[in-house]
Amino acid sequence: VQEKEELIEEWQPEPLVPPVPKDHPALNYNVVSGPPTHIITVNGKECVNFASFNFLGLLDNEKVKSAAQASLKKYGVGTCGPRGFYGTFDVHLELEERLAKFMRTEEAIIYSYGFATIASAIPAYSKRGDIVFVDEAACFAIQKGLQASRSNIKLFKHNDMADLERLLKEQETEDQKNPRKARVTRRFIVVEGLYMNTGDICPLPELIKLKYKYKVRIFLEESLSFGVLGEHGRGVTEHFGINIDDIDLISANMENSLASIGGFCCGRSFIIDHQRLSGQGYCFSASLPPLLAAAAIEALNIMEDNPEIFQTLRSKCERIHKALQG
Amino acid sequence: LQKNGISNGTLYKKTFIEHFEQAPMYVAVLTFLGFGVGTVFGYLRDFMRAWGLEKRNIATEREQQKDFVPLYQDFENFYTRNLYMRIRDNWNRPICSVPGPQFDLMERVTDDYNWTFRFTGRIIKNVINMGSYNYLGFAETDVNALKTVTTELQKYGTGICSTRQEMGTLDKHVELENLVAKFLGVEDAMVFGMGFATNSMNIPALVGKGCLILSDELNHTSLVLGARLSGATIRIFKHNNMQSLETLLRDAIIYGQPRSHRAWRKIIILVEGIYSMEGSIVRLPEIVSLKKKYKAYLYLDEAHSIGAVGATGRGVVEYFGMSPDDVDVLMGTFTKSFGAAGGYIAGKKELVDFLRTHSHSAVYATSMCPPVAEQIIRAMKCLMGLDGTTQGLQRVRQLGKNTRYFRRRLHEMGFIIYGNDDSPVVPLLLYMPGKIGAFARRMLQKNIGVVVVGFPATPITESRARFCVSAAHTREMLDTVLNALDELGDFLQLKYSRYSKSSHPELYEESRLELED
Repeated sequence: VQEKEELIEEWQPEPLVPPVPKDHPALNYNVVSGPPTHIITVNGKECVNFASFNFLGLLDNEKVKSAAQASLKKYGVGTCGPRGFYGTFDVHLELEERLAKFMRTEEAIIYSYGFATIASAIPAYSKRGDIVFVDEAACFAIQKGLQASRSNIKLFKHNDMADLERLLKEQETEDQKNPRKARVTRRFIVVEGLYMNTGDICPLPELIKLKYKYKVRIFLEESLSFGVLGEHGRGVTEHFGINIDDIDLISANMENSLASIGGFCCGRSFIIDHQRLSGQGYCFSASLPPLLAAAAIEALNIMEDNPEIFQTLRSKCERIHKALQG
Repeated sequence: LQKNGISNGTLYKKTFIEHFEQAPMYVAVLTFLGFGVGTVFGYLRDFMRAWGLEKRNIATEREQQKDFVPLYQDFENFYTRNLYMRIRDNWNRPICSVPGPQFDLMERVTDDYNWTFRFTGRIIKNVINMGSYNYLGFAETDVNALKTVTTELQKYGTGICSTRQEMGTLDKHVELENLVAKFLGVEDAMVFGMGFATNSMNIPALVGKGCLILSDELNHTSLVLGARLSGATIRIFKHNNMQSLETLLRDAIIYGQPRSHRAWRKIIILVEGIYSMEGSIVRLPEIVSLKKKYKAYLYLDEAHSIGAVGATGRGVVEYFGMSPDDVDVLMGTFTKSFGAAGGYIAGKKELVDFLRTHSHSAVYATSMCPPVAEQIIRAMKCLMGLDGTTQGLQRVRQLGKNTRYFRRRLHEMGFIIYGNDDSPVVPLLLYMPGKIGAFARRMLQKNIGVVVVGFPATPITESRARFCVSAAHTREMLDTVLNALDELGDFLQLKYSRYSKSSHPELYEESRLELED
């Protein structure tokens, strides 16, 4: 017993956090005063804003703000509860319907935070023992979702379909050795529409071919491509002209083009309904404040009424790319 | 029945009374019987559906993908299909007004036993709200109260479109963080856009491989997820049980890591201020003395207790009369008592500086939106008295009065209530699966909205109805609810308690005053 007391006395833990040097680059944030729109005041200086994801310029749109004001008058700010316990407002239901109609899918589900969307969607379907093929350049939220799911992760080189096919073939030979296990192991491919880390678009038509050949489900993360690609802004499926039912789950966040907060997943009811009981960020967290949902609905209205803004965005992008490449 | 009063006198400055009464044995038997009947019928219906004798109402896989590996295993959904589906109308009830002490529900009916719902278009007005987490009543639409929020919304808009480390830090965030630090009495604080994400993204930044996490049995999913994502070893101690925690601490330090027996790098204890399913308050003085003795770190999640307990609403730290320096990491959310959204972490300056540079949320996730930040600022100023009124303090006192009154009356009526006498979260035990649906539906008929929870959020035999008392509830509203509960308790036979308090409240109050000496 004496020894045990000595051990307890002697043990010294590490400090809770290691000290951070005063000149660490990420320590002192740039403080923005005033609204973060196209002309932005950073640390007191006025600059042109090339840093925010405000693709459609809806951050300071008057119609969006007045919709949010009307919602504020009616509902207050917070929802004070998760979706299951009186946190479901009629604005949430309306936003889900509008998103499903806009993306031409059966159903959509809304999360209150963009990061949590894909990070809760992946573990709801993929569990321990399932196999996920994911692109190397996948964004951090996808990586966290995969880590939470505890599945087997197989990385393939960025946008390299030959590498993906090689991995799928290897998996097929594994399956033939153990057909009983293969019959219950689910397989998924997780890709992004427009990659945040590299800025390329994924080769969706080839992915669809691989999907049917090797019987793998596709989860598409469209945070950056929603409202950017495609003739009407429906994302990379419209860009390539693919039937949206071929993609099992599309997940996007509303924090980029829609200039709101939160995220959504859309797809067939068979798939989306499952998240209402097993999506952790949906069931155990408060729902989206109604003023943000109203702002998103108004932004969707603007997107539907003015489809020429996507063309404007695309021509400006091409101009900048050409100018930068010299 | 546990009563921990003066025997722990040196640590606790006031009586700490918690109740976790066990129901009589026949109740457990009948509960299992109820689940058994439900399961048998479930199998019968699945059989009939498989053989085409009954229509399948559930959505199915696409024709083209029928030969893919099935997405869901049949067994996983058994509970959802057969037991949850029968009483599904008691959850996800849509409302169409502010979630204050009363709200308006949209009426929905089902033609096919809860498989699909249809809105009749009628709105049920002024349903008393016992379900929303509106502890201090800040969910309001009063124009004067929301004046600053309206101006900020007009000035800043709704979105940010950027992360904290890029262009996402507004001057509003800096103002809010300074205010939170002042409110809690600590050096510095950092705010995040979502409460759930605060836990799941910051715990991995604080601990990693080679560290030990000691987490309470009944911790919230966000804490469990954060602990799992961090990669540290997790050990669980029994709910609020200090002997179990001390044993784990001693074993950890003496024996070290499981196979190599090397010393642990750090030990962190994860607890919550008020546990939302039990209504119990954490035993903070004992945990702090344990932590000091064994040199562990304490992470306190005050999601439900910030603003709701304590003489001026500063949370469990103030409730027990302790100093905020005793807790290493103070975490909380703004969703419950402040009527907004988001979370914060507060503590010493080194801790917050570290989180500013290393937290996943600062690098990858969007920051809080400006009107929500303004709502928190105005609510906090009101609580601290900085807006020149005593409204904040009045709200906290009103909440305390409402809580004590509500709990006392429920005890007198003979219901089994869990939790601490001072916690505004009141779980009322229902036990049997059939009563869950009956209770919620009949309360709605009386124009009262309640929250019921069953398996898997609670143990299988302990389904409960959970009431959240609010400072905005008036005495008449509480009396209406209590009378309805009295009637319903007799009708559904919910009064299981064998220890009902005497029906002479004056005598009870007297003896309580004596003990508090």
